[in-house]
Amino acid sequence: MEFLEWFMPTVWFVILALFLLLYVILDGFDLGVGILSLTSPSESQRTILMTSLGNVWDANETWLVLMGGALFGAFPLAYGTILKAFYGPIYLMILGLILRAVAFEFRENATNKRPWNLMFGIGSVLAAGSQGICLGTVLSGIPTDAAGHFIGSPWIWVNPSSLVVALTLIQGYVLIGSTYLILKTSGELQRLHVRTARLAAATTLGGALLITFTAPFASETLRQRLFDPAFLPFFVVLPLLGVALIVQLFRSLAMQQEVWPFVYTVLLFILSFAGLGVMVFPAVIPPSVTIFQASSSVSSMVFMLTFIGVLIPIMLFYNIYNYIAFRGKVSAE
Amino acid sequence: MLATLDVVTLSRLQFALTAIFHMLWPVLSTGLAIYLVVLEAIWLRTRNPLYYRQARFWAKLYVLNFGIGVASGLPMEFQFGTNWAPLSEFAGDFFGSVLGFEGAMAFMLEAGFLGIMLFGWQKVPPVIHFLSTVMVAFGANLSVFWILSANSWLQTPSGGTFSDGHFHVQNYFAAINNPFMVRSVIHMALATVETSMLVVAAISAWSLMRQKAPEFFLFSFKLALIILLAVAPLQILAGHESAVQVAEHQPTKLAAIEALWDDQAAGSSPAWTVLASPDEASGSNRWSLSVPGAFSWILETRPQLSQPLRGLNSWPADQRPHMVGLLFYAFRVMVAIGLAAAALMALSLLLWWRGGLSAASFAQWPWFSWAWILSAPAGYLAIESGWVVRCVGRQPWTVYGQLRTADAASVLPVGEVLTSLSVFAVIYTVLLVFALYFGSRIIAKGPNLTLEPPPGLATAVILSDPSASA
Repeated sequence: MEFLEWFMPTVWFVILALFLLLYVILDGFDLGVGILSLTSPSESQRTILMTSLGNVWDANETWLVLMGGALFGAFPLAYGTILKAFYGPIYLMILGLILRAVAFEFRENATNKRPWNLMFGIGSVLAAGSQGICLGTVLSGIPTDAAGHFIGSPWIWVNPSSLVVALTLIQGYVLIGSTYLILKTSGELQRLHVRTARLAAATTLGGALLITFTAPFASETLRQRLFDPAFLPFFVVLPLLGVALIVQLFRSLAMQQEVWPFVYTVLLFILSFAGLGVMVFPAVIPPSVTIFQASSSVSSMVFMLTFIGVLIPIMLFYNIYNYIAFRGKVSAE
Repeated sequence: MLATLDVVTLSRLQFALTAIFHMLWPVLSTGLAIYLVVLEAIWLRTRNPLYYRQARFWAKLYVLNFGIGVASGLPMEFQFGTNWAPLSEFAGDFFGSVLGFEGAMAFMLEAGFLGIMLFGWQKVPPVIHFLSTVMVAFGANLSVFWILSANSWLQTPSGGTFSDGHFHVQNYFAAINNPFMVRSVIHMALATVETSMLVVAAISAWSLMRQKAPEFFLFSFKLALIILLAVAPLQILAGHESAVQVAEHQPTKLAAIEALWDDQAAGSSPAWTVLASPDEASGSNRWSLSVPGAFSWILETRPQLSQPLRGLNSWPADQRPHMVGLLFYAFRVMVAIGLAAAALMALSLLLWWRGGLSAASFAQWPWFSWAWILSAPAGYLAIESGWVVRCVGRQPWTVYGQLRTADAASVLPVGEVLTSLSVFAVIYTVLLVFALYFGSRIIAKGPNLTLEPPPGLATAVILSDPSASA
């Protein structure tokens, strides 16, 4: 039992991280394309952007629903505390996602598409920005009492550092969205998004550097870990890999490659995510509440694992099949 | 006004508003999906382009409806954390797991195959396409199962113990298969199919009344009617069974939906109140219209009660639901709609059987068309009324007998909840108006009667024996 009490929360932390990572990558490009749709020069080009999302946006968003449900079941305390602390940004995110989803369907049927185009783009910005604000606030830490309940101000998420993270995440989503469009479009539209990707790569990089260098000031845990020899390999390997990937990303964009910019961006997302994991683990409500304090009972986690664990490869399989069935360039029909 | 609104009331109002709005959409997502499966099966079997066009037309409404359903479902899940954190902590071990299962088993399945179902006609082989439609329908109906299991657990919590402010699960299968689960899942699944078919029949009746695409819509109407004739009697039975389980497990809810104030002894034959004006202050009805001796017939199909029934007055005020008038009438509205719809179906069957049901009948008898057109909103009203009975009737408990609603709500600043509630109220009103507007545009435009099936399928007709491939 001793072993399971350590093992099961860790397994669930990893599964939740996987769901969140899949969400950030998949809905990331989805939201990014949504933001980019605001800049589409013509209606027919915007239609191509929307068509590139038609078969996937819903499944991509479902990873968030899945992560929410899994967090609720595996770490009920964290679910209550985190969502309560983020009341404002969570509802802003939901609002953004609602506006976006509805605009997508209404646009299809509308004669005058302009209001829905605007709503789709603004919803995407709102959802991306709110997610960034939540992430930024998590990095600075959520104050809790001994029982793990939130004790901070309802405005805890309003501060400059979460604003920086929000802006950076928006840039990151624009980057992954434009590299996705390089993959899915051709001709003028593709060239446009090569330029956008370069610009977004530069701004994302700037934001990421700013966050990386200011994070130790905001997070005490991080300050300790920076000087802990056990973490040294991470703090050497992660930045080196990061530099290599950024160089490769810019090179592939300069060479007008189609597939590689997206691949390098995804790898950069994974890398940033790993960095985040190193900063946070084993806390689930940073800085103080660990996965072991916040977890549900071992039997509950075992039960969930038997159901959801088996389904993970199946879910991945049919989602990948969906992408394969719709592979190749999007055409304007 | 502001001073009288406490945060628990506001969170309840927000949950009620978002739940009532959300419930409008999964109805078609689950029920119409089954209709699409049937249509596609007929199309694959016959290879008659009419059925292909049927599938494509109804899928247009399906997708308009689906997106709003997904989006309005998000606040349902996240509210448990934002506004009901003590409930999350109290019951997360079980309740959270079930929501996790729903995401992994149901939502993802539905979402993962929806793209292929809608846009994949030319991208995947017909069999894979059919399989995708089946998976969308299966996924949607699996979420009915999980959501109703979770909600039933709130009604009849079982499968574990309650101590130090937590529910400790001992037997997951007993918790999932709690006393309310089976009958509630069946009642809800039938409700989504019935209301969806009422929607198909209503749209068909409207188009037939105006003689738009008569051949097309007469088929849609008849197919919906056949499914309705199978489902409606079962639903009346399932509804009765649901009332019986309420009598068994939630005596306070039963007393409220029947406006039963005084105790009734076993062996007595109380009257059944048809209409009344319940007065909570005096603990009685101001006036009532009732059928003598009918209560035990309705509840138990026998002349006398086999068990004593407790009236509302025998419970302390903090252990029984209030808003008796709402519960009393919501229940009656639901039952009346279910029975009236069944009568309309029986009448239509009679017409059909006697050879009087043709595309012309709908233009000839506008009252007949209008009865069918109005049956669709009535179906939604019945579903919403049923949920009001189910969840308002459970009060003052969130987890029946274990966790009070007042203790399940997060302590939040009033302004915060008031803001999110107001934004939802505005946005949802606007969304509903536009959804109805765009829905009616799709209906007014009607089906594309010259739409040809994908060319790949034309060869499939020649190459394969149609009777073997479906």
